[in-house]
Amino acid sequence: MTQTAERNVFADRSNRLTVTRAGGQLVADYWDNLFAAREQGKQIVWYNGGALNPIFQAAGLAWCHGEAFAARLAAQRLEGPAQLAGAEYGYNAELCSYSRTHLGCSVLTLQGASLESGEGEHTGVVGMQDRRELASRLPSPDFFVNNYAGCSTGQQWDGISYRVFGKQLPIFNISHPFLWGNKPDAGYLTGEEWEEASNFVEGQLHELIAWLEEQTGRPFGWDDLSQSMEYIKRAAELRREGLDLCKAKPAPATFWDWIACVAPINFLPGAQALVDYFAGVRDEIRERLDAGVSGVEGEKYRLYFDGIMNWNKLGFLSRKFAEHGAAVLAGRYIHNAFWQEPHLIDVENPLRGMAQHYLLCPTNHGTRTLDYLTMRDCREYDVDGIVFHSTRTCRAFTGPQRLLARSAQNTLGIPSIFFEGDVADASFYKEEILESRLAAMLEQIDVRRQRGEYTGAARP
Amino acid sequence: MQGWPVTSAPFVILHLLQLSSSSRRLFNVATALEKLTTVARDPRGYVEDWRARHPGRLVLGVLPMNFPRELALAAGTLPVVVQDDQKPVTEGRSLLAEFYCGYTRNLADQAATGRFGLYDAVLMADHCIQLIGAADVVRAILPDTPVFFGMLNSSMNDSWGPARVVAMMGEFRTELERLTGEPVTNQALGAAIAAHNRDRRMVRRLFDDRAAGSAVLSPVRLQDVVTSAMIMDPAEHAGLLAEALAGATAAPPATAPPDHRVRVHLSGHLCHAPRRELLEAIEASGAVIVDDDLYHGRRHVSTDVEEGGDPLEAVARWYQQRNVNIPCPTRVQQDADWDSWLLDAVRRSGAEAVIHLVPKFCEPHMLYYPELRKALDEAGIPHLQIETEHEGIPLESFRTRIEALVERVRRTRAVPA
Amino acid sequence: MKHYLGVDLGSTTSKAVVVDDTGTIEASSIVQMGAVSRAGMQRAVDEALAEAGLRPGDLSGTVSTGYGRRLVPLAQRSFTEITCHARGTSAMVPGARLVIDIGGQDSKAITVDADGLVEDFAMNDRCASGTGRFYEVLARAIECDIGELGTLALRGSTDLEVSSMCATFAETEIISLLAQDLAIEDIAASVHRAIAARTLALVAQVGKRAPVVLTGGVARNPAARHFLSVALDHEVTVPEHPQITGAYGAALLASTHASGPAAAEGDADRPSQVSHTGPHTGPGHSCAECDGRPSAIVELGPVIGVRNW
Repeated sequence: MTQTAERNVFADRSNRLTVTRAGGQLVADYWDNLFAAREQGKQIVWYNGGALNPIFQAAGLAWCHGEAFAARLAAQRLEGPAQLAGAEYGYNAELCSYSRTHLGCSVLTLQGASLESGEGEHTGVVGMQDRRELASRLPSPDFFVNNYAGCSTGQQWDGISYRVFGKQLPIFNISHPFLWGNKPDAGYLTGEEWEEASNFVEGQLHELIAWLEEQTGRPFGWDDLSQSMEYIKRAAELRREGLDLCKAKPAPATFWDWIACVAPINFLPGAQALVDYFAGVRDEIRERLDAGVSGVEGEKYRLYFDGIMNWNKLGFLSRKFAEHGAAVLAGRYIHNAFWQEPHLIDVENPLRGMAQHYLLCPTNHGTRTLDYLTMRDCREYDVDGIVFHSTRTCRAFTGPQRLLARSAQNTLGIPSIFFEGDVADASFYKEEILESRLAAMLEQIDVRRQRGEYTGAARP
Repeated sequence: MQGWPVTSAPFVILHLLQLSSSSRRLFNVATALEKLTTVARDPRGYVEDWRARHPGRLVLGVLPMNFPRELALAAGTLPVVVQDDQKPVTEGRSLLAEFYCGYTRNLADQAATGRFGLYDAVLMADHCIQLIGAADVVRAILPDTPVFFGMLNSSMNDSWGPARVVAMMGEFRTELERLTGEPVTNQALGAAIAAHNRDRRMVRRLFDDRAAGSAVLSPVRLQDVVTSAMIMDPAEHAGLLAEALAGATAAPPATAPPDHRVRVHLSGHLCHAPRRELLEAIEASGAVIVDDDLYHGRRHVSTDVEEGGDPLEAVARWYQQRNVNIPCPTRVQQDADWDSWLLDAVRRSGAEAVIHLVPKFCEPHMLYYPELRKALDEAGIPHLQIETEHEGIPLESFRTRIEALVERVRRTRAVPA
Repeated sequence: MKHYLGVDLGSTTSKAVVVDDTGTIEASSIVQMGAVSRAGMQRAVDEALAEAGLRPGDLSGTVSTGYGRRLVPLAQRSFTEITCHARGTSAMVPGARLVIDIGGQDSKAITVDADGLVEDFAMNDRCASGTGRFYEVLARAIECDIGELGTLALRGSTDLEVSSMCATFAETEIISLLAQDLAIEDIAASVHRAIAARTLALVAQVGKRAPVVLTGGVARNPAARHFLSVALDHEVTVPEHPQITGAYGAALLASTHASGPAAAEGDADRPSQVSHTGPHTGPGHSCAECDGRPSAIVELGPVIGVRNW
């Protein structure tokens, strides 16, 4: 047996929130529940894209967000078997690793089902012992719902899952117009295109609900929907409060804490527990502010992180940035996603606000809108530079990055670096590149400070 | 077939000389085919000539794959499907990540180095996220060039889909009217539809003949014919093509040696052309291409627009029908299967093997490929995947793979009855 | 007694094998050389012939393979190294179903049927990852003789997670591990483990089969074999002469093709037929001049797709 060495080569200056452990427990309980859903006699929906879970909750279903499971596997370093099963099925290593990992889970789930029923033979490259691991534990779906705005691969993904499961299961697609901004009145949350797109998606949500009634044979719980959206809206507001509090100097919490909060806000049931959790997050942040405790020991630099999360490297990245005294405070994946505009939600008639949130997927904006959002957040958090995660298999997130980097330099006078990694495939991560470029950018900032320059984006 | 310089003009003329007795007609035939090839290899010359003949009219850059060029033609513009100009990506590297597909990086590069200047505006209909990324770069670098994105509904089985598509075709018409300042009449649209249908039928006939065993043009020439069709006014293209084919015959001369190469179907390259050198390498390695589902192949000409009735609705139905005729993985449709279509195509053409041409980083293809593999394996049809890149074509490596496929197929050929 | 020659002209080595008409190896040679070297090939051929006590005129047939297969003047025909490795390995290890060949610059996974004929294959010839070059990078970085690398790696116990797919970045990873003063046995073992994982991904493309045979220069490395068998969770056989399987297969093919028209590898001169089954009415159907009725056997005759430029 081999042991994995602990490579603790630098002192840990990261000071993560403690309350996120409670969120971790809520999430672990959620997945354990899901793995037992079949035994509990529940119908199971597999979905990708925007957070449809409140609708599923009101329909009495168990729900599984494909990306969320792929992220969980990667975060726990258990993505290997799923990715290998995917490779054996025929998926190329350059394919979006979210979809590749999840589709690998589909393959494992199907193989597991056929082994159990005695029909299948174990012939694959994934070893028998791996089958008992996390990647094989997803229960088969009863149907699919795809709700992907922006990324075309996201829409195709469930269409492929549908085929992997032999075209036997029902599938429902919600289509999202890309918020391109053809018309002169187009802007963030405004304009004719925005209104038209909102109408279209809201209409499809009504169709979805009618379809779910057919699938479940039950009337939809409209009151349940309002109720769960009330909780989710409140949790989202608390989250925004917490995010705003991190504008303080030094910041009481960082981007990495918010990453740890993604799973709860993304797919946990709309319930008091969710509200309590985010209240706890906000409260711990407030306490830190009062006590003068910062998220990074000796905060020297403030940074913005653009890109989808590098799930295999959460702990490592949070320590690495902290090691340099760099507090990563804001990022597109946290600030422009996950119920980020709770004021849009009318809990009595939540569908429109929900539809709008799905349209606000961070990959569904053209560069103009992203430029507005990124520059705004860089100013509000007064960051000294931007770190772009050049995510090897995520073309949706990385498309506008080079343009945003230029804009940040031209508009705000702040530098950017790019580092190579991936959302769920650790083999694409190149540590040396991050280390050397980060160090270089921070030195650049030091030099400007020595010359008496103000290096933050909020300079007057 | 090794050593035949299939792309050189003098060689083409030489072979035509062997077939036709009329040297005057012969001269015109060579010129017509050469003209089509020239347009395909560098559209700029044709575009400039067209502008000179149509002063004040617009040239539109159209991104692949589903934009209805009939509408743009009816608006009096020249809609040019923007081609990968196959030049190495230089400045484009600083605009789009290296893991974007070669075509989209080439688009960004064209915009960054002034090679996009021949278009007055850009229109697109497809939601491939990489195309969107490239279009966004074009929009940012060329702020004076309008870039209109009318995203066609891509989930094809939805009951609300067809109405959305008709509405979007209407949006395209409105935008064209805005760009040109002129209305687009149903009459003009009807005429444009007829012109495109005529040209498509002519080109499609070439593919049908090839699949039935009597090819008139080499794969490279055929690609030039399709590429030039994507660029030219359809009537002009059809005219030149008719001239080019007039002297050529599909009947094999008695003295021609038998062709025992392994018959292959080429599948993939869903939005830009595979390199000519690759097509030549395939045919020089013991294989002969009998059919394809390339965008610069059957996909471009698979579907005609219905003539008669409301032309805008007909164009909308054309879009829906395209994915039934040859399913594309960029669309989500439960009752149209690329894998079943591929099996049918192989049976129709008698292809003995399939070569998948997968551009590196093409996500729609990478996602669907395992389903194709499953279907072909179950049907016992040998196949090979070749990953293509924008720069640095490893021809030796391709030849080895193709030859290995050929070797495998040869030993499984049916014994004559 | 007849004699046949197989020549494998690869990117870094040239191999020649002489067999008799029972398929027994009479002589073999391996010559290390620069890229695709004619001189290296000639030397390999000369040495093999000398060992067998033959002159070129004594040969009844020669087949070439490998990257430089078209550069072998003696050869009557060539086959790809995929076909040759499959053939040679199946003869050396009867019953082999999966052949993994890791050479200096490329790696291949080939599934073979019960007759030793190629079913499917996957190649990595574009990237150093998972090839012999990766081991050279490791050997250089830890300053170990390449011949001793395997023994060293087998002594490793801790997994240091070398995860990078790229050989260049893996080298940087190795250097940083050395800078932390970690044991070179563990570093070597971890790199071997990473390469085995890459190979597993290549195998995944063709499907895992058994028995598994490892060939190529890397097969002489006992640690490579060990870590690969751990990754595959299956025993991995290495034939006695793992480097000459390609040349051996080529020699066997020379013998088969010299013996008459009913060749196992398929005869290019046989005319072909195709059976059009199924209705000509499906979507996308556009057979020229077809009236839509399903047809029986369509005789394409010996002439197919003659080009009229």
